[in-house]
Amino acid sequence: MDKVPFKGLNRWLGVFTLLFSAFFAFYAIPNWVYSPSNIRNIVLSPTFWPYVLAGISALAGVALIITKQPPETDPDGPESADVGLRPYLRLIVMALIMGLTMYLLPRLGMVWTTMLTFVVTAFFFGTRYRIAAVVCAVLIPLILYTFFAHVAGVAIPQGNFVRLP
Amino acid sequence: MSFYDSILAGLSLVGNVDAFLSLFIGIVVGVIGGAIPGLSATMAVALTLPFTFPMQPINGILLLLGVYKGGIFGGSIPAILIKTPGTPASSATILDGYPLAEKGQAGKALGMALWASCTADVVSNLSLILFAGWLASFALNFGPPEFFALIFFSLTIIAGVSGDSLLRGALAAMAGLILATVGLDLVYGTNRFTFGDSNLMGGLNFIAVLIGLFAIPEVIAMAWDPTGHLGKARSLGKSWVTFREYKDSFFSIIRGSMIGVILGSIPGIGAAPSAFLSYSEARRTSKNKANFGKGEIEGVAAAEAGNNGVAGATLIPLLALGVPGDVITAIIIGAFMIHGLQPGPMMFVLNVDIIYGLFIGLIVSSVMLFAVGSVAIRAFRYVADVPKRILMPAVLVLCIYGVFAVNNNMFDVGVMFVMGWLGYVMNRTRIPAAPFLIAFILGPLLEDNFRQSMLMSGGDMAVFVRGPITWAFWTFSLIALVAIYKSVRAPKTP
Repeated sequence: MDKVPFKGLNRWLGVFTLLFSAFFAFYAIPNWVYSPSNIRNIVLSPTFWPYVLAGISALAGVALIITKQPPETDPDGPESADVGLRPYLRLIVMALIMGLTMYLLPRLGMVWTTMLTFVVTAFFFGTRYRIAAVVCAVLIPLILYTFFAHVAGVAIPQGNFVRLP
Repeated sequence: MSFYDSILAGLSLVGNVDAFLSLFIGIVVGVIGGAIPGLSATMAVALTLPFTFPMQPINGILLLLGVYKGGIFGGSIPAILIKTPGTPASSATILDGYPLAEKGQAGKALGMALWASCTADVVSNLSLILFAGWLASFALNFGPPEFFALIFFSLTIIAGVSGDSLLRGALAAMAGLILATVGLDLVYGTNRFTFGDSNLMGGLNFIAVLIGLFAIPEVIAMAWDPTGHLGKARSLGKSWVTFREYKDSFFSIIRGSMIGVILGSIPGIGAAPSAFLSYSEARRTSKNKANFGKGEIEGVAAAEAGNNGVAGATLIPLLALGVPGDVITAIIIGAFMIHGLQPGPMMFVLNVDIIYGLFIGLIVSSVMLFAVGSVAIRAFRYVADVPKRILMPAVLVLCIYGVFAVNNNMFDVGVMFVMGWLGYVMNRTRIPAAPFLIAFILGPLLEDNFRQSMLMSGGDMAVFVRGPITWAFWTFSLIALVAIYKSVRAPKTP
């Protein structure tokens, strides 16, 4: 898996962690954690633990910034200098496939949606075994449906159109 | 009744075809269930439970124990072959098992996983038989402060799975702890980061987080570079581990088994932390320390010994005290009750034949696990030969079904996708996922026991050093922290 370059990585992570800790402590906890007003002991408050975590995260962020990053070796070999725009476009397409899957799951039903997801993903990845991909796209969701619905007793979503027995 | 009489009573109960057939079927079902990502050993045991209703009590319980043991081993198969742990307990196996598969040595990794699993299983079963009463009474002395000290100590194992940078490991652990705060407050029941959504009130589903973090990033990585895997060795290679490799890893296997026995006998810890602790200790003391995380066979052995060492030991508090040690034994205790049996100290008096029947069955199960596991490896290993551009969509679909089936909840599928993208970003920025997962598991336990201790003591921190058990765990933690500090300060060999 390609990774971002080593140089300055810890510093950037440290800065991000500090910013996140500040957001967490000063906005997220006060607004999104509800604490009863009659708590006498601060350590029992629902906000106590998140504040502790925000504090330790900030310390980790500071440590990442000030600690000298030791030289690391990349097990995957040297980073490709210029990967171009295409991989990022492919990531966007993958995100769209996942988003579309979530959208279609309750509407088409899990079986039909996963058949589509399988075939679209396999073709998107550029499989050389297109017929096998289509066969698998049909069979795997059907087998899983049979097992989960009829053996495990899971109520697999059926969708609004074609319902399976 | 003497020990000899007890064994004979047990033999009279399980010395028939039905009992051993139940155990065998259970192991087969467990291995298959554990090998399907998203199904998990827990779900396999839960699904098998209704089938035990018409059976004899001992046969029904042996069936479930077979599923349990088979499931824990089965989880290592997809962990090694497709970097997707079949059970949470197999998460640590990925660290070295998958790199070995990538090098074309999947067969060797699977073979070592089987050997280590069966060895740890024998050690765990013997420990159950020999130390059941003693260890259970020790765990009975644990209150919230002792658990807090124990979990704090367990968090130090994160150092062992942080890879090149301890600080990035710590960062991942903090992210896991923060994510674990989502849901209803443990004491007051108020909302924390739920945004008014009822799906978030119970916290994020563990399986969704686990699958999202470990399996989905592989699918996303495939989108980044669909041809990156071409030309990489991914065949099974040498199909079996050598006796020398087993002998070289033997100490790690025994140590991992003992870690599993100790952690498994304490309710609530589970197999995943045990596997990570065993792996961490093996890495710390190994001659091949630098190779850990890159495909070290000893790493696979240690992780598998750690998680399988738990399987027998979780039955110690179950049988001796009637206290389930983890989710699976909680399901199994249900099977006892359905059959009119009440696990606990009195069972050693009233149903000694069943107790010893189970002991005999468990010993036999280790042999059966080896036989079934050997066949399972040969059957499931062909997953490695499936074209990756078909395998990854299959993994994606399998994950969708598996995560949905846990709670019948579409929201969990969404959580899995989100965690998948988080896992992918973590991979790209070299932030290790294992510390995140450990912290996510231990986070609620840590907070819960901290606040319970505070409630008990009225806010007095002295409760955390109230007895020898807490002192022992604080001392272990201190030793671990000093060791971590020294390892960070020590100059690295090029």
